[in-house]
Amino acid sequence: MDEELGGRMGAAQILGRGVRESPLLRQGFGFTMLLAIIGAAGRVVIPIVVQQAIDHGFVRDSVNMRVIAVLATVSSATIVATSLAQRAAVKRLGIRSEGALYELRVRVIEHIHRLSLADHNDERRGALVARVTSDVETLAEFFSWGGLAWILDGALMVIVAAVMLSYDWLLAIIALAVAAPLALVLRSVQRHLVDAYGKARGLNADFLGSVTELVTGAETLRAYGAGPVLASRTKLVAKQRADSFIRAGFIGAYLFPSGEVFSAFTVSAVIGVGVARGSAGGLTAGALVGFVFLTYRFLEPIAEFTEVLDQTQTAVAGMRRLLAVLDLPVGPPQALQPVALPDGPLSIDISDVTFGYRTRGEVGDDQPVLFNVSAHIPAGQQIALVGATGSGKTTLGRLLARLADPVAGQIRLGGVPLTHVSNEQLRQRLVVVPQEPFLFDDSIAANLEFALPGTSFADLERAVTALDLDDWLLTMPDGLLTRVGERGTQLSAGERQLVALLRASVADPDVLILDEATSSVDALTEVRMARALERLAQGRTIIAIAHRLSTAMRSDRVLVLEDGRLIEDGSHEQLLAAGGHYSQVFAAWVSSTS
Amino acid sequence: MIVADTALPRSRIERWRTAGQLVRSLVRVHPKPFIIAVSAAGVFALCTVASSVVLRWIIDHVIDPRFRAGHVATSTVLVGLGFIVGTGMVRAVAVVVRRGMAGVTRWRIAETLSGDIIDRLVAQPVSWHQLRASGELAARAGVDVDAAVDVISPLPYASSVVLLIAVSAVWLVYIDVPLGLFSIAVFPMLIALNLSYQHRVDRHFTAAQDHLGRLSAAVHESFEGVHVVKAFGAETRETQRLASIAADLRSARTSAVLVRASFDSALNAVPALANIGLIVLGAYRIRSGDLTVGELASMIYMFTLLVFPLRLIGFALSALPHSLAGWGRLREVLDAPLMPDPADSLVVAPPELGVSFRQVSFSFDADRPVLTDVSLDVARGSTVAVVGTTGGGKTTMLRLAAGLLSTSSGSVAVAGGDRSIVLQEAFLLGDTLRENIAFGSVFSDEQIWAALECAEGREFVAELPKGLDTQVGERGVSLSGGQRQRVALARALVRTPALLLLDDTTSALDPSTEARVVANLRSALSDTTVLMVASRPSTIALADRVVFLHDCSIAATGTHAELLESNETYRSLMEAFEVDREAITASLEAPERKDS
Repeated sequence: MDEELGGRMGAAQILGRGVRESPLLRQGFGFTMLLAIIGAAGRVVIPIVVQQAIDHGFVRDSVNMRVIAVLATVSSATIVATSLAQRAAVKRLGIRSEGALYELRVRVIEHIHRLSLADHNDERRGALVARVTSDVETLAEFFSWGGLAWILDGALMVIVAAVMLSYDWLLAIIALAVAAPLALVLRSVQRHLVDAYGKARGLNADFLGSVTELVTGAETLRAYGAGPVLASRTKLVAKQRADSFIRAGFIGAYLFPSGEVFSAFTVSAVIGVGVARGSAGGLTAGALVGFVFLTYRFLEPIAEFTEVLDQTQTAVAGMRRLLAVLDLPVGPPQALQPVALPDGPLSIDISDVTFGYRTRGEVGDDQPVLFNVSAHIPAGQQIALVGATGSGKTTLGRLLARLADPVAGQIRLGGVPLTHVSNEQLRQRLVVVPQEPFLFDDSIAANLEFALPGTSFADLERAVTALDLDDWLLTMPDGLLTRVGERGTQLSAGERQLVALLRASVADPDVLILDEATSSVDALTEVRMARALERLAQGRTIIAIAHRLSTAMRSDRVLVLEDGRLIEDGSHEQLLAAGGHYSQVFAAWVSSTS
Repeated sequence: MIVADTALPRSRIERWRTAGQLVRSLVRVHPKPFIIAVSAAGVFALCTVASSVVLRWIIDHVIDPRFRAGHVATSTVLVGLGFIVGTGMVRAVAVVVRRGMAGVTRWRIAETLSGDIIDRLVAQPVSWHQLRASGELAARAGVDVDAAVDVISPLPYASSVVLLIAVSAVWLVYIDVPLGLFSIAVFPMLIALNLSYQHRVDRHFTAAQDHLGRLSAAVHESFEGVHVVKAFGAETRETQRLASIAADLRSARTSAVLVRASFDSALNAVPALANIGLIVLGAYRIRSGDLTVGELASMIYMFTLLVFPLRLIGFALSALPHSLAGWGRLREVLDAPLMPDPADSLVVAPPELGVSFRQVSFSFDADRPVLTDVSLDVARGSTVAVVGTTGGGKTTMLRLAAGLLSTSSGSVAVAGGDRSIVLQEAFLLGDTLRENIAFGSVFSDEQIWAALECAEGREFVAELPKGLDTQVGERGVSLSGGQRQRVALARALVRTPALLLLDDTTSALDPSTEARVVANLRSALSDTTVLMVASRPSTIALADRVVFLHDCSIAATGTHAELLESNETYRSLMEAFEVDREAITASLEAPERKDS
């Protein structure tokens, strides 16, 4: 999602901003790099020792044991010291990058929680979860492996090249020149590899999707005898998937030994030229043998680099998506100088409210959903918002809860403009019960306590009694400790509604915005819900987004919305008498039930 | 996902034996590419040793003479260089073949195994599927197969490493006994170091994977419940809760990095120190004339070449528990006995009947009967509504008639010809509308359009730019519940079934569309017997006869009007259905909008 937001930034800019956003990464980076370079230096010790031993230790059929002893002592000490430096570098990088990732993850989580509900629809949920999990994971993989390789292997290659140049500049240049085309070969193979794996991953997704269909549709497939047909189709996809992974595997297989092929050529070139020139240019036998070792060392990390490059691209893409999420504006801004709400039941004033959903990216393309809606709702009144799907009743409910701010006009709660009410106080005094209440995979008690952390078990029990739901609670196997399952699926839809009403009552708000459920509920639960609702409504201002005319009949006042406009406003009786839209709908309803 | 370690054999020996069995069972599926891969791995190992032999020869016969004696024959130089390039090339080809064929082995085995599982999933009846979570079954053919075959990929390489160690050990001892023995003594140390690293780091990796899974689930739940989080102003609380899981993940990862930092540097230092040991020892042997400089250099080179392959041994072993767990899970599906097809137990009804239940009882388990002693004859060509409370066995009756479930006792007879059932929840494939209606059979476009017409779906399909070729699902158009239901209905109707079973199918449609659909059905399929589960009084009223299920058996049959009159329970049930629910929205939306 929202790739376009960060899409214009180059990879370097993305990385730069990523580092800026994570101060932990920069902490002591210079010293870490120094340690990494010292660590890398340890890996050229053996070639140097071999060169020194051949040139100074084994002279003319005799062996200078003193030289060998000095070499052995110095090099052993160097190896121990450099590996300690390497260890320190890896540790420092690891601790800091894991810390930075943790901070980034928490920041993204917090930011996503604060995004407006418009950014939280079902289609986007998967993408938002992916930001916090898989996108941060691409960075984690990069830091623990690719990023480390850039630093350690980069340092190694620089040091090896430096040692080569110090031995013999001509041979060094030859070695680098022969090895250089390898980089091009690797780059092109790697590009093919990325394409091949992209295709393979696509087929893998197709395959998994096809298998899922086979299982979720098992009953329908069997009823229609279509199982074998779909099975053979799925197997065809399985074959294509295997083919594509095998192809990608072969391309990867070419990538791996190309370093060896180039080492063979480079080593031959170095030996050929070295032997041809002989000691004329100051070259020694030891240096030439040392060169052979150094060449292998130099080309060793190159094959790895291509994988690292791929990983880097993935990490940059992940970072880009993360930054795009952090760039999304959060929901309605916090009140800077909050005004306290008056005590007691609250009135609501809706003045000339107009609202349109922001179409991302294209300003001015906003379709207004509400036009100039005005209404005064005295404290303690019970309102039913009535209207067809798309009439704006749900949106009006959202604006009243300040899940979004009107484009024009103002809403006041207890006389205070909503924009001046602190979020904490607003959520204490005004609670929304959504149409399909969401329950956490925990006990009923935990779900109720969510409304007001620290509520005692006894208080929760009292809340159940207060809403006259004791008889319902008796049907729960473990009472308040009954677990509700994932999304509350262990309970029926109606029971989830009951828990949601209880949860709202625990918060004890002064205003309740109730989005009525449309799903069918069994008769008994229906009765309990009506009973609980009646108890809950006492002494509060209620805005019910009504889907049933019976709810409208019971309320003090009905607001009828059509296409974003408030077309009728009055009590049930008044509206019937007026003979407008509402009375027609009511007549149709009465005839269909009798 | 986390592998259930409990499923793994406890003792080490037992674990090795199980691993051996796993590898044998997998390789047996496609032995040919595996043998090629292992052979190539052998060539690779031999070439690796050969390259060190070549280096020795070059130092002793090319470099040493040139720098000591001042000259060397050009032909000797060319031969030496030829050897370097030659062994390098053969080694490279061997790597390509080894890696490529290892991939062929792995993916072809996965293809065959997932095919076997797919066949099994299709062969098992609905009752078998109902006992298992669909997500888990899908995982058997997908991720579990992949996990099981993961053990294959590193095997050819691992086998070449074993060969490499053996050959190079012989070669090192052959060059010089004391130095050779010294080098060989270092191998076990390096292997032990690798294994202990893998063992220690795996614990942290497993923990990290576990925390990541928890984080993923918790983040998903928290974002899914964002309405609630916002409604109670719990954003900060929720962030803190998730942050504590993220902190666990961080500490597991950090521990892994710390282990890795120590072992990485040890794995660099130990071979380097061993090399220095070789040089010191070698110096004595060169002084005594038992060793040449070339031989010493080749031994050092050999050693360097061995370090990387040795690291892979630990890696290959680390995939094992994961693979064993995956293999165990997929065997559960493959070894599950095939349950009989309930459709085989259906008998043919006499010509005047569409469907007939004879003293049918059904229960999932003994103390929870769903249907008890149900007998019912439905005349051919009539429409019967099955009515009852939720969980009262209505759907079970339909499934029995469809041959999807078999009775616990009693028998079900159906008229010859096609039986089509439309379930409450429409299942559509991620394919074209045409495919979703034809569903594995072949029908002409005219037949499909006619079926759509009857299901009141013609209009919306015709409005789609691609018509019947419209792709539905994730990669195409997302249809509303009512539209999906109409497609599922068209799928049933296009087959002109002898028996049509509708499980509350039309409830996703608004009442007026539903009434039209039922009327269409009656006029288009006059010979078809319709047995439908219905809950709306308006729909029930359209049936010729109503069967009222109560307490697991048929409480009453008759027309809707008769039952309203005669049966108190039936009447109260009808009232509880609360017709007003959809009525308000439906009539407010008049004239009818495209769909709900």
